[in-house]
Amino acid sequence: MNIEPSGEAAEYGRQASRAFAAAGGDRLAPLAEAEPERRGALVEPVLRELGAWELRPRDDPDDLEAAAALCRSAGYRALAYPLAERLARPAGLGTDGLLVVDGPAPRAPVAGLDLRWTAVTLDGRRGEAVVRSGERSLDSAVVAELDVRPLDAAGAGDVALGLVLPCWTLLGMLDRALDLTRSHVLARHQFGEPLARRQGVRFQLADAEVERGGAEALAAYALWSVQSGRAEALDDALALRLAALEAAEAVFRTAHLLHGAMGFCDESPLSWVSRCSRPVRWLPLGLSATRDHLARRLGRHGLTGLFSEAAT
Amino acid sequence: MTGGMTGGGSAATPADLGAFRAHVRDWCRAHVPDGWRRAQTGVPDEEFVSFQRAWFQELRRAGFAVPHWPAEWGGGMPVAQQAVLYQELAAHDAPRLVLAFVAIHHAASTLLAAGTDAQRHAHLPAILDGEVWAQGFSEPDAGSDLAALRTSARREGGTYVVNGQKCWASGAAHADWCLLLARTDPAAPKRHGISYFLLDMRTPGIDVRPTRQATGESHFCEIFLDDVAVPAANLVGPENEGWRVAQRTLGAERGMTMLELAERLAHGGFRRLVDACARPGPGGARPLDDPLVLDRLAALETELTGLRALCAELVADDRPGPADASVAKLVYSELLQRLTDFAAEVAGPAAHTELRRPLSSGWESGAWVLDFVGSWEWTIPGGTSEIQRTIIGERGLGLPREPAGA
Ligand SMILES: Cc1cc2nc3c(=O)[nH]c(=O)nc-3n(C[C@H](O)[C@H](O)[C@H](O)COP(=O)(O)OP(=O)(O)OC[C@H]3O[C@@H](n4cnc5c(N)ncnc54)[C@H](O)[C@@H]3O)c2cc1C
Repeated sequence: MNIEPSGEAAEYGRQASRAFAAAGGDRLAPLAEAEPERRGALVEPVLRELGAWELRPRDDPDDLEAAAALCRSAGYRALAYPLAERLARPAGLGTDGLLVVDGPAPRAPVAGLDLRWTAVTLDGRRGEAVVRSGERSLDSAVVAELDVRPLDAAGAGDVALGLVLPCWTLLGMLDRALDLTRSHVLARHQFGEPLARRQGVRFQLADAEVERGGAEALAAYALWSVQSGRAEALDDALALRLAALEAAEAVFRTAHLLHGAMGFCDESPLSWVSRCSRPVRWLPLGLSATRDHLARRLGRHGLTGLFSEAAT
Repeated sequence: MTGGMTGGGSAATPADLGAFRAHVRDWCRAHVPDGWRRAQTGVPDEEFVSFQRAWFQELRRAGFAVPHWPAEWGGGMPVAQQAVLYQELAAHDAPRLVLAFVAIHHAASTLLAAGTDAQRHAHLPAILDGEVWAQGFSEPDAGSDLAALRTSARREGGTYVVNGQKCWASGAAHADWCLLLARTDPAAPKRHGISYFLLDMRTPGIDVRPTRQATGESHFCEIFLDDVAVPAANLVGPENEGWRVAQRTLGAERGMTMLELAERLAHGGFRRLVDACARPGPGGARPLDDPLVLDRLAALETELTGLRALCAELVADDRPGPADASVAKLVYSELLQRLTDFAAEVAGPAAHTELRRPLSSGWESGAWVLDFVGSWEWTIPGGTSEIQRTIIGERGLGLPREPAGA
């Protein structure tokens, strides 16, 4: 078994990252937040150009890796567009994307887009999701409340991919937060020298990188699990989500602390990456809900893991 | 530490305290505005400001606005009573004094410790009447290394001419006056050429620009100073001794404010957390029925008790240790982080969808996820956690000084 993503996928990701930078880069998130209705027009042409809509991640292992790499680049550039959700679209329903939802008041970061969505709950109940118009109750303009019209209970196989791809987006955000922080502590001088010369600063950055690296390893594993069609794919997806959310807290806390007050103001890309990460981190399951679901599922059978075959 | 900023010294007896608590409770029931949280969430700036002004005057009429000031200026409440006051305000979910914060703490402690009589008379009563203050210390290149500040003040006859740029000044858009640090002797070593001024924000040459924040929450401003004339009468302490005066103001930020914050965390935030744990979750079970939750709550309660004792001692003590205020700030800000993190955890999924909180609430508003994110901010102003650790190491433990760098 090989859980390392292929070189082609990584190259595709780099190409996508350049294309997103050329399409507006760090300006895209503020624009999306100011006018969610315009964000489709800003990024959809680039995604089309990149061949995003031709990817068949549910059918083709290479396409799945490419999709993950694309999501990671979108996260890196804080694209503020539901790319992972679109790439996870279910087979045979003719909709544009898949939204994993939970709880009585489902929401998703799909405001202002003229697209058709399928919603699926963790236990596989599917429905047609319609964005409720008018209400903007949340502080993120890209998040919308949904009305879900029930369809069937045939979505159990759809869920894992719907959870894994957004984690790749989040992983890209963590990559970016660490890159930004690394550059910041190298460039910012206090007490006559770069912050990066202080061991207290270096240790914090190192700890955050360890967290990010852990999430990256699990992301590769969960992707492989989906790819192989394993029965445990959903457990692995939830375990990835848990690890990615924990890593996100550690990474963003360190990134903010090391940026000082700068990290909380609009001009700093970190504040936008951090802000864009919130809907991904809180929807459809925040940290505690993810832990709760995972614990309940594992309570029945435990995680299978990478080395279980060797162990038996 | 702050020249009499600890209110009255006489110890109140337990019976006095009981009666006082009953009095504050009655007052809170009658005066804390009903539904202020909902009414204040997401309101425009002007509404926040008028709400804060009205609340300050309400507290003032009751003698609760500046209990920590000396009696002759309208305070004089014994520390034990102050603690009770803050406890009850928190327990009744009273709004915090956000707008007046710098005025009643930083400005007042500076004036009391180092101001002239004329300065005190000009400003302490005015603060009670609603004069709003900001703190103009930080600069783009002078954050943790505050002594690297470059804003200059050149003496010309009876005035100083000030040029430079300040940043991160909280609430400066609404400020009438500003505590200003500027360099008066460019040739002197870093800490020795700085002076401390009171700056009238209506003076020509001042341009205040709000710094947009992605969270839309707190209110940083940049202050641009272009040939701003400050009368020499507004110098606080001797020329070139501003660093020493500033240490006192920062001491107030780390120390004096802590009594209120600690009591609020314990009697507002923590109580709210315990209440939340007592409510049945979606599955019917109460978090309180889980021994792990109980264990965490007990640990937090223990830490809070320690913090409260630390803060009470800090304000009651005439001669606190050189690192005591730093210890209190460090403990508070990191405990706030742990508490809000755990609260977001037990409050469960619902907490993750509440995406706004009113500005007038405390740092533990009960919108736990936002509180947790906001708690990251708390480790930065008034000296970051690393700077507090450095102070504790050097001044508290007598370790060698950090290398100052190149
Ligand atoms: C909510 C908030 C309100 C504020 N209000 C005001 C105000 O009203 N008036 C005002 O003047 N200022 C205000 N500030 C500014 C505040 O005082 C500064 O942000 C603070 O001093 C840190 O400076 P900096 O942001 O430039 O960070 P930097 O000094 O650039 O520090 C960045 C990071 O490096 C670390 N670091 C720096 N030096 C060292 C070292 N020697 N060893 C180890 N680590 C180090 C820091 O801990 C931090 O994590 C406010 C800030 C915030 C966040």
